[in-house]
Amino acid sequence: MGANIYKNKKPLWIFLFPAFLFMAVYLYYPFLMNIYNSFQSITGLAHASKGLNSPWYSNYVKLFQDKAMRTAIVNTLIMMVVTIVGQVGVAIILALLVDNIKRGAKFFRTVYFFPIVISATALGLLFNLIFLYNKGMVNQFAELFGATKLIDWKDKSYALFTMMLPVMWQYVGFYFVILITGLNNISEELYEASSIDGASKFQRVRYITLPLLHNVICTCLVLAVTGALKVFDLPWIMFRSGMPNGATWLTGTYMYHQTMITGDIDYASTIAIVIVILGVIVSKIVNTIFKEKDY
Amino acid sequence: MKKKVVSALLSTVMAATMIAGSASAGMGTVEAAGTEEFDTSMLTKAENPVELNVTTTFAGEDGNVKNFQDAVKAYEEATGNTINDMSGTANEAFKARVSADFQTGSESDVLFYFNGVDSNEFVEAGKVMSIDEIREKYPEYASNMDDGRMGASPVDGKNYSVPVNGYWEALFVNTTVLADCGIDVPGPDYTWEQFLADCETIKEKGYSPIAAALGSVPHYWWEYSIFNNDTPETHLNVPETVDDEAGKAWVAGLNDIKDLYDKGYFPENTLSALDEETIQLFMEDKAAFLVDGSWRVNGLATNCQSDPEDPSTLDTERLDKFAVTYFPAKDGRKATDVLGGLSEGYFISRNAWEDEEKQAAVVEFVNYMTSDAMVARFAQHTASALKAAPDVDKSQFNSLQLKSMEMMAGVTSFTAVVQDLVPQDCRTPMFDTGMPAIVSGDVTPEDAVQQSLDLMAEKAAQ
Repeated sequence: MGANIYKNKKPLWIFLFPAFLFMAVYLYYPFLMNIYNSFQSITGLAHASKGLNSPWYSNYVKLFQDKAMRTAIVNTLIMMVVTIVGQVGVAIILALLVDNIKRGAKFFRTVYFFPIVISATALGLLFNLIFLYNKGMVNQFAELFGATKLIDWKDKSYALFTMMLPVMWQYVGFYFVILITGLNNISEELYEASSIDGASKFQRVRYITLPLLHNVICTCLVLAVTGALKVFDLPWIMFRSGMPNGATWLTGTYMYHQTMITGDIDYASTIAIVIVILGVIVSKIVNTIFKEKDY
Repeated sequence: MKKKVVSALLSTVMAATMIAGSASAGMGTVEAAGTEEFDTSMLTKAENPVELNVTTTFAGEDGNVKNFQDAVKAYEEATGNTINDMSGTANEAFKARVSADFQTGSESDVLFYFNGVDSNEFVEAGKVMSIDEIREKYPEYASNMDDGRMGASPVDGKNYSVPVNGYWEALFVNTTVLADCGIDVPGPDYTWEQFLADCETIKEKGYSPIAAALGSVPHYWWEYSIFNNDTPETHLNVPETVDDEAGKAWVAGLNDIKDLYDKGYFPENTLSALDEETIQLFMEDKAAFLVDGSWRVNGLATNCQSDPEDPSTLDTERLDKFAVTYFPAKDGRKATDVLGGLSEGYFISRNAWEDEEKQAAVVEFVNYMTSDAMVARFAQHTASALKAAPDVDKSQFNSLQLKSMEMMAGVTSFTAVVQDLVPQDCRTPMFDTGMPAIVSGDVTPEDAVQQSLDLMAEKAAQ
């Protein structure tokens, strides 16, 4: 009787079905509708379609001619690099450092994870004040060190840096916690054995920690890269409508602008499809490059 | 495009009527009611209390947020009905939300919203009640208002909304900065040439002459610069081509803004700053001029209070350094020709009207929110459409409100804003994303105007 419970898989379907139904209604159906909408003419949120665009693929042609879209894609790709280096890279370093201290590890875990629990909107407002032109925190520090002229940190020359720094800072803690968990799963015996064999600390990291952390790092990279495609809230708070002069568009912010400000819903749908395609391609590339290994 | 011309004509009629109204009733200017209790004697306790969904623009920095919330609270206590307040700041995202609500049939029962082209879509679809329809059953509905000044819909010239408070747009000045530069506060004969000369003096003294965030809120400069290149009579004409009279005025207006930008009269971060950042420059004596709406009077006063919720904490000395005057005039336009009007009002949705349980409640709610006493409380130093405006008691006013009253007394004409006749999605080539491109030379004013006209033509064709 007891063994039959595990052989009969039918009850599993009953439990899987509600989640599948939810996904079908709220994710896959809207996604298919989104593809359909990208060929339609829709002039406002929730407005009925006015028929097919003429030609029906006009949004896809527009996509290639749209300078702002080009900027958005380039900025998003830069954001991906920043997340790989700045989020996962920094998180690895912090995780290795914290893993090697005996006292205060819990304290640092909390400290680094804390930005995750603050809403992106609040962080956007906070960093707006930090980078404020008129006596913001950074400019006040610059004055303390002898700067005589205020710097506009949201000017075209610095805008990308100013936008990406808070995004990077916010999510370091997220990957840090994942990596720390991965580090905890590495057996102490391996380190003890390597110490007996005379391995230095650097060698232990290079030949034990990093190889055994490989799969966790891969997961972090996929999450970071796909997450970079979806970044929206913090950049929108700091750089509404791609300001200054369209220099800070990201695919997410540009899609929102087209939806809520311009009311070009069909074009926004086309951008949404680009975001999905980019996500699939990039995560595939990341998966291929950083293939998970079996140990 | 034909519809646009009709809209413009109707709005011109409205503006002209308002001017006539201003002569007879002081533009319906009324006082702030201060802290006295709300008069709820007109309300009755509901036998079967209902829930009403109400969406307004009394949110964010609007000076009437507290008035609205207090009035709603008093209404709920007196009637037993519940108000679900879904108000939001009147920006493009808010307008998109309202539009989507109407499209999906989930519109609010009562809506305090724009009566210009922004409401066209739901007026055309018959989703809101006209005042005439409501009066067939409730003859006293909005009977305290002058029908000719209520803000008729551009769709068919009928009244659908009941206004409360109007608005005006003008030039706020920081007198501390002006005094330091040896410049007098401009008066009713202020010209564009004097303004340019003053800006140069102010700039040489190390201040920002104009506080404006062209990258996020170019609306006021766009409107007045165009107004400066046409007349009160022609201002509400939407161009059909970039070469017609209205088109030329739009291009000339944009060129004026670019000229100011090129001369360095806007803050260095004007393309990257948010509106509140440049207003802060003005507040902190770092900028001399600020073009803004009548709502800024309360905004500046609130900024001068140690507790934004408590007017008694107002730093009067700080507020005294701000004044409000007329936007500098160019090419024959009188500086005292001011942009303003009654652009918003209370709509009742057809859904709520057809709901037998809600009908009487929504009518009572709007009557209460637009009663003489309530208008007095909300309109303060701005316009109203009341037939009989209450006497002005200036004792409740702060110094900036008094200066506003003084400025309003010298107004020779009010003209509605033409941007209300341009659908928001068609403005983008000249507004938030467009203006930085124009002033920095990436797009010519002619091309920007043409792009907007193309979008309008495309929309009209649909």
